[in-house]
Amino acid sequence: MATFLIRRLIQMFLVLIASAVVSYVLLYFAPGGPMTGLRQTQQSGRNKMSADDIARIKQRFELDLYIPYRFTRWLVGFPAGPVTIAGQTFLADVAAGCKTPGMVRLRYPDGRTEIIEEGCEVPITFADLVDRRTSRGILFGDFGLSQVMLRDRPISTLIASRLPYTLQLMGASILISIAIGVPLGIYSAVRQYSRFDYAMTTVSFVGSSLPTFVIGIICILVFAVGAKEAGFIYLPPGNAVSNKDYVIPYIGEVIASSTLDRVLHFIMPLGVLVFVNIAGYSRFIRSGMLEVLRQDYVRTARAKGLRERTVVLKHALRNAILPFITLLAGVMAELFGGAAITEAIFNWPGLGRLLVDSIERNDYSVTMGLTMVSIFLLLLGYLITDILYSILDPRIRLS
Amino acid sequence: MTTPNHRPAGQWALIFRRFKTHRVAMWCLYLITTIYVLSMFASVIAPYKRDAISLDNAYTTPFSTAPDGSYHVFGTDHLGRDFFTRLIYAARVSLTTAITVTTVSTLIGIVVGLTAGYFGGIVDTITSRMIEFISTFPTFTLLLIAGSIAIQNSDDIPIPALLSQTIGVIMAVNEREGKQVVMIMVIFIALGWTGVARFVRGMVLSIREQLYVESSRALGASHLHNIITHVLPNAMPPIIVAYTLGLSGALVAESALSFLGFGIQDPTPSWGNMLSFANSYMFNYPWMPLVPTLPILVCSLAINYIGDGLRDALDPRVQTEVTRAKRDALLKAIRDRSAAS
Repeated sequence: MATFLIRRLIQMFLVLIASAVVSYVLLYFAPGGPMTGLRQTQQSGRNKMSADDIARIKQRFELDLYIPYRFTRWLVGFPAGPVTIAGQTFLADVAAGCKTPGMVRLRYPDGRTEIIEEGCEVPITFADLVDRRTSRGILFGDFGLSQVMLRDRPISTLIASRLPYTLQLMGASILISIAIGVPLGIYSAVRQYSRFDYAMTTVSFVGSSLPTFVIGIICILVFAVGAKEAGFIYLPPGNAVSNKDYVIPYIGEVIASSTLDRVLHFIMPLGVLVFVNIAGYSRFIRSGMLEVLRQDYVRTARAKGLRERTVVLKHALRNAILPFITLLAGVMAELFGGAAITEAIFNWPGLGRLLVDSIERNDYSVTMGLTMVSIFLLLLGYLITDILYSILDPRIRLS
Repeated sequence: MTTPNHRPAGQWALIFRRFKTHRVAMWCLYLITTIYVLSMFASVIAPYKRDAISLDNAYTTPFSTAPDGSYHVFGTDHLGRDFFTRLIYAARVSLTTAITVTTVSTLIGIVVGLTAGYFGGIVDTITSRMIEFISTFPTFTLLLIAGSIAIQNSDDIPIPALLSQTIGVIMAVNEREGKQVVMIMVIFIALGWTGVARFVRGMVLSIREQLYVESSRALGASHLHNIITHVLPNAMPPIIVAYTLGLSGALVAESALSFLGFGIQDPTPSWGNMLSFANSYMFNYPWMPLVPTLPILVCSLAINYIGDGLRDALDPRVQTEVTRAKRDALLKAIRDRSAAS
């Protein structure tokens, strides 16, 4: 067990670093970023910025450093300055980046000229890095600063403001769907080909083949727009709280950001996620149970004269639930990552929408922070699943 | 069936005969084929030009006449473009994208999975690690990022002109739009093949150990012969089921991506991006989001029903493998959709 854990942790660490490199490279080659708008002002003629301004802005986003240094500073917060060992400083003169790139005017034989950046006029040394704000590194939980969405404020603030909403939505929906979906799946497997089973499989089939945004939009049309028009109780179509008091028939006036208001906003996104998850979970449990119920040991258990309840819950379910656990490996990442599309449709201010917004607005540091966290949680989920598996299934030995 | 009586029907004929007994699946197959074939004749069927904007006609309700006297079956969008026309063209774009993506990633997955599973050894170790590594990435996040990069940099990304022209012809879009669609497809394929490869590898591992493969090897058959005559045909049924599920997955993922604005971009119609525009007018014109929702709903349901029918139709001899494959596919579907929910 100990060797297994150590080996897995090392493996996890390597995968994490590798995915950090991949996502950093992907986003480094991505367009946009803080310099896009500046290039446009540069071309407009008015408010033309001096080279100093550009250097300053580049410094703020660390765009003036060489990529390997930028990457290590982002990942582990190194180099943050010259290395001091026993009172002596080393590496103070090593160039870490370039403050002003050298300009070279190229003259082509056909008379065209072009100015390109080449070489470096003023380099940035390790000694210059001392006065900069350095993150302690994303591996140690410091996400750095947001570039666009919350200019120069820590990303952790941004995440902290969204996290409660996502935890609330995802936590509630996952718990409710397991609590309902698993028993439904068991019941329809035990009563295979009954009327209940047919109804269940049809509903869950439809639920798991329809995309979430289709279900969400239909829900809004029915329960928000349609119900309001018809004068029934309607639900607010989006956001987590409203900023104005409103009146709902039969319920009366709802005061903005009261508990009732929050609950009303919560119902629809929760309902959609619960419906979709139940459809998936119950189908999964049903097919697993059907397979197990055909096994010899179940027949033996019945032949021993055990009660049907004991046979189903103790002998069958314990075996059928094993694959379900692999399914839950992703749950932690999901809890954190949120449901991007559902959150987008219902305007729910969670982390899933934060991710979509950050990609839309080219706020790469936020995107990378969120991606790293969800990869980490996914890996952790796999690890926990493996351990759980070995506990629940004595046939599996971790080695 | 016109199979002569003196010869036993082949496996595929049997499967097809069994598939035909699944009424709903059969109807769904007709439906999808009809939609796709009709969309291929878009220029003949469509009553209007695809991008014909007329602001006076904007927001015409379905089944009514626009202010200038033109009739619109499904109404018009915020720019006065005819919804019906755009839906037909979008069917061409969305369905072709889904089919191409699933087909290519399944083919890649089969080749990689077969090689890894059949030959084992170092090839297997490397491919398995690679597949594992790719599948640790949150797929939907990566799709969003890659989509956004591809869209913003579409001029800098090299795509063979022949490819984007071919796609352009198939989808009835111009070359520039074709290029964008190709990029989106490449991203989907790059992230999509791993699931198939892992699945095929697992199946090949168990088929390889079967006695008939072993005896064929003992008789001196070459690896290629074994793969073609024994391994592949036995692995095929579950792959087909996974393919249909993958098809609806790709359709939904593409429309989700386009819905969020990172997929196929506006003048090129796709059901997802039409929905994304319609969605912003839903409070004033509640019918509007329903129009693009309808085909997404119908097609994803239909494809899933076809998959269901195929599953029932497949050879009972491989039933256990199919159940396992079915569960793997279900697991994958749930994972994919929780990422894309």
